[in-house]
Amino acid sequence: MLKIDDIHVYYGAIHAIKGVSFEVHEGEIVALIGANGAGKSTILKTVSGLMHPRTGHISFMGKDITHTDAYQLVRHGLAHVPEGRRIFLQMSVQENLDMGGFTQKSVQKEELDRIFQLFPRLKERRYQVAGTLSGGEQQMLAMSRALMSHPKLMMLDEPSMGLAPILVDQIFDIIKELHAAGTTILLVEQNASKALQIADRAYVLETGNITLSGTGAELARSDDVKKAYLGG
Amino acid sequence: MQLIQYLINGISIGSVYAIIALGYTMVYGIAKMLNFAHGDIIMVGAYVSFCITSYLGLPAVASIVVAMAVCMLLGIFIEGLAYRPLRGTPSLTVLITAIGVSYFLQNAAQLIWGTAPKNFTSVVTMEPLHLFDGQLVITGEVILTVIVSAAVMIGLTLFTSKCKMGKAMRAVSEDRDAAQLMGINVNLTISTTFAIGSALAAVAGVLLCSTVPTLQPTTGSMPGIRAFTAAVIGGIGSIPGAMLGGIVLGVIETFSKKYISTDFSDAIVFAVLILILLVKPAGLLGKQTQEKV
Ligand SMILES: Nc1ncnc2c1ncn2[C@@H]1O[C@H](COP(=O)(O)OP(=O)(O)OP(=O)(O)O)[C@@H](O)[C@H]1O
Ligand SMILES: [Mg+2]
Repeated sequence: MLKIDDIHVYYGAIHAIKGVSFEVHEGEIVALIGANGAGKSTILKTVSGLMHPRTGHISFMGKDITHTDAYQLVRHGLAHVPEGRRIFLQMSVQENLDMGGFTQKSVQKEELDRIFQLFPRLKERRYQVAGTLSGGEQQMLAMSRALMSHPKLMMLDEPSMGLAPILVDQIFDIIKELHAAGTTILLVEQNASKALQIADRAYVLETGNITLSGTGAELARSDDVKKAYLGG
Repeated sequence: MQLIQYLINGISIGSVYAIIALGYTMVYGIAKMLNFAHGDIIMVGAYVSFCITSYLGLPAVASIVVAMAVCMLLGIFIEGLAYRPLRGTPSLTVLITAIGVSYFLQNAAQLIWGTAPKNFTSVVTMEPLHLFDGQLVITGEVILTVIVSAAVMIGLTLFTSKCKMGKAMRAVSEDRDAAQLMGINVNLTISTTFAIGSALAAVAGVLLCSTVPTLQPTTGSMPGIRAFTAAVIGGIGSIPGAMLGGIVLGVIETFSKKYISTDFSDAIVFAVLILILLVKPAGLLGKQTQEKV
């Protein structure tokens, strides 16, 4: 479904991604873990078209998207829930969802119902300004907003960041639920143990290179991963 | 009665500033740049309208429509050619480019129309209203200006709160990358903003020259600067703020001209701007930026 082939990405002179290749197959949950500054967010931004690689190729659903702009990729079924949520703080919850459905022709009544079923909290706060939501609610809104575009592949950048443990569990349950409903997931996480638990496969990224890969269970058992990311 | 007369005149000229300020504020809010050349679009709009009525003898309404269309295209063209390639560069670069575009438009107008002022014929044919035995005179220009600016403000407010494109503009103004991730074409949104702002500038130009009929290549620059001030007073980025700022500024300007000094009216206006900003740094209706949780 998603194929990344030897991409090199730069911020000006900074060589952030140094030849990364990996794949996400339809129906999988793939996790990308790694320390701060390893380049996880950069990879997601490059896939979603906010940035472009200097060399290398990216294809999605069999199409080359290496140089496609972000706004066009949404129509291909790619959704990116960025790091730090990036919801529109001055708009209402409903308006944020409307923006999520920007590419859809008609009003997304069914999708809205489904989202409000997943996140009843958002329904209660439907007309509230998004900037006044709690951190957890903002994360729910960020995910819901992405769902409004009917993504085939959803990329989540640290969805559990800054959330209380109970909310983290809830977010991971919802990721599993979305996956069960047919959405392929590419997940970037600091919370490596949680991510590896739900991932079919995972990759470990270190300063712009993939150093390890395997099934979620394999990596969770690996000594290197345990030492570096699972706290012993 | 005199006082009320000045107030009405102030609101009228303030309404013109408000329409110009709306263009400034929209472009600033969405493209995050000061389009210094915005005032000169007013001048171009007025010249186009002048040519259509004086040389082609077409009715005023037709001249306004053509002026709007020409300015719209000019706005899109300027944005695409001069500003878009600089997106992502330091804002000072963009500002200097905008000042360059402003001079370019003034010089081009000089070449085409010459420096001698043209005598603009008002687009309003209505007789002035004489109230209270002629103590209070309300001209057709005043009535038209106030109605048009109120309509523009209401229209824009509805557009940005109800229409898909209008909401997309707010999304782009808040977070350009997140807007792209929603499938919003940022370039198209910014072009649309320039198109709307420039069409409004054309309307403002026609209204301005209907009230103050001397038209020359520098006609737009002072009203442009005052309208920018108005946008800042009201809270840049805010639509009702631009409207309020424009009217406040127009009234202050008119009163200081009548009661203090014609020569110092601009200095007074800017002194008031500084005072307001000292008390309310974000402007009268400026948005208090919300902190992320
Ligand atoms: N806008 C930028 N300009 C310059 N360098 C950047 C920029 N954004 C990221 N970088 C650099 O690129 C590298 C990768 O950053 P990235 O944000 O992708 O890391 P990450 O793995 O997502 O980290 P974290 O877990 O902290 O979110 C880092 O060295 C970072 O300093
Ligand atoms: Mg990151």
